[in-house]
Amino acid sequence: MEIVVCVKPVPDAETRLRTSADGTSLDIEAVKFVLAGYDESAVEQALLLKEANPGSKVHVVSAGPAPRTEEVLRASLALGCDQATWVEIAPGVAPDPLTAARALARAVSSAPHDLVLCGKQAGDDEAGVVGAALAESLGLPDFSAVLDLRWDPGSSRLRFQRATESGVEKWEAPLPCVVSLQQAWNDPRTAKLPAILKSRKLPIAKVPLEPLASSAGTTRPTKFELPPPRTGAKMIEFKTPEEAAQKLVRILKEEAKVFP
Amino acid sequence: MPDFSLTPEQESLRDLARKFARSEMAPHAAECDRTPRFPEEIYRKAFDLGLMNLNVPAEYGGSGLGSFDQCLIVEELAYACGGMTTSIIANCLALEPILLGGTAEQKQRFLGPFCAEYHLASFALTEPSGGSDAGTMRTLARRDGDHYVLSGEKCFITNAPHAALYTVFATVDPALRHKGVTAFVVPRTAKGVTPGKDEDKMGHRASSTSTIRFEDVRVPATDRLGAEGEGFSLAMRTLDQTRTPIGALATGIAQAALDHAAAYSLKRQTFGKPISEHQAIQIKLANMVQAVHAARLLTWHAAWTIDKGQKGTLESSIAKCYASDAALHVADEAIQTFGGYGYMKEYPVEKLLRDAKLTQIYEGANEIQRTVIARELLRGYA
Repeated sequence: MEIVVCVKPVPDAETRLRTSADGTSLDIEAVKFVLAGYDESAVEQALLLKEANPGSKVHVVSAGPAPRTEEVLRASLALGCDQATWVEIAPGVAPDPLTAARALARAVSSAPHDLVLCGKQAGDDEAGVVGAALAESLGLPDFSAVLDLRWDPGSSRLRFQRATESGVEKWEAPLPCVVSLQQAWNDPRTAKLPAILKSRKLPIAKVPLEPLASSAGTTRPTKFELPPPRTGAKMIEFKTPEEAAQKLVRILKEEAKVFP
Repeated sequence: MPDFSLTPEQESLRDLARKFARSEMAPHAAECDRTPRFPEEIYRKAFDLGLMNLNVPAEYGGSGLGSFDQCLIVEELAYACGGMTTSIIANCLALEPILLGGTAEQKQRFLGPFCAEYHLASFALTEPSGGSDAGTMRTLARRDGDHYVLSGEKCFITNAPHAALYTVFATVDPALRHKGVTAFVVPRTAKGVTPGKDEDKMGHRASSTSTIRFEDVRVPATDRLGAEGEGFSLAMRTLDQTRTPIGALATGIAQAALDHAAAYSLKRQTFGKPISEHQAIQIKLANMVQAVHAARLLTWHAAWTIDKGQKGTLESSIAKCYASDAALHVADEAIQTFGGYGYMKEYPVEKLLRDAKLTQIYEGANEIQRTVIARELLRGYA
């Protein structure tokens, strides 16, 4: 099985974010970029499928600027992906999800792909668009919020679950298709030190981003704002649960004014 | 000129160590200290990730890192727990004599199978009557045909009760003093080898330390490292290599103490404001961060010197000595910043002081480091 995983570098969750001077982008000066959490689960899923189905290959693809895109591709190679393709985008250009999907589609379509895996959404903008847009560009069916993906060689079908707000759906689907995965359900592995060293020397295929007539400025963020600093919690002192409830209701009514 | 900006590869190595330290080691540090407990499952995971035999070349199954990269990893591990770090890096110390003094055949025979799976090794130099004074060694190695017969006792040996392999220093003739010292590789399963019980230590309580008794242990002459009488030089050259990571270990403890103190100072209020706004605490924190930076830079400089192929005796002694003194001082000031809470075992900083203390003592006490530093210094004036 030829498995393609699409990944994106996102700011480390521990990074303290700042906005740029004009407020239309994030100041990435001191930001540490890492493989997005959803994408980690997608890579893990790809490697599990590869291990369960001998002869399979995992091809990791990412679209973005240097150096962070190269770093997440190398991190994926260190985890066990077999080959990597980088659609290089000029620094300072933040591609919107549709542009990213089209860029990825070009790289994916020019190589064998039975199964295309993505994280359900990125860990930064949380747009959740790329998987579906990529499927549309490739002309393939798309499944999102997927868990527990397995290949059944007998019926030549994928079997998986979808986590929805009303419960878990059970699905099966033939190849080829695009699958966007839930985060952190499969305990993504950690790359070992020798694999990290080896991944530095592996080749990465580079694909230039061709001008996309229809995509320029499809969407554009107008303003980034940091959330207001949290104010201190208010502790309610009480002797009985009834007293605590009465005091809480009074605060919700008179101070927070959440109901009349 | 040294350039200490890290390469992407070094960033990745440091990230791996940091992730392991914070997710696998830190959650168990307090419990292993209190009990005490030797968390072998954590050491096994460290081995699985390639964080154990850092200095052993890849051709023998190790990670093949230079001194600088080892230091990046060791500092991150020690940030989470100094004691666990001592046990994780003890293999580097124990295997270094084989790397430096072993023949190609011995390296293949000892290191290959050893590094292929999780195993611990111990460096057995110190004796009850002397550590840094290795010239007074009493463990005897008596030649008997194509064997040596070892008898004597070693003490304060890291990981000894759990190790599969020992590098042992013994003398073929005590009258020769350090010129009689000879190095051997001895499996723990050899007849007559008995590790003692775990010592009850002030700090590094997740690590294991004990005596080893040798009672007429027959060691094939083919397991001798180098020639008779070369053992002392081999031990010193080994310590030249492994001293610098102890500077990194101490730096990790110091950084943890500083981080705890700074974070606490922003939360703790006295006289109507956070104590971080009191100048007395600001001066403390300012001095602590200077010590941490200096410790790290001296350690990195020593590692850079060694990676250039130089011996680095002066640089590594300065790094180990300064960083360990800094770690004790910074941990002490962290406790002072916490006040009464800092003295309580419920808070993390008193452990850092106990762990820091050992870094002034082991791998060459700081008194010996200062002797070495003075000797190297004065050589330039003679």
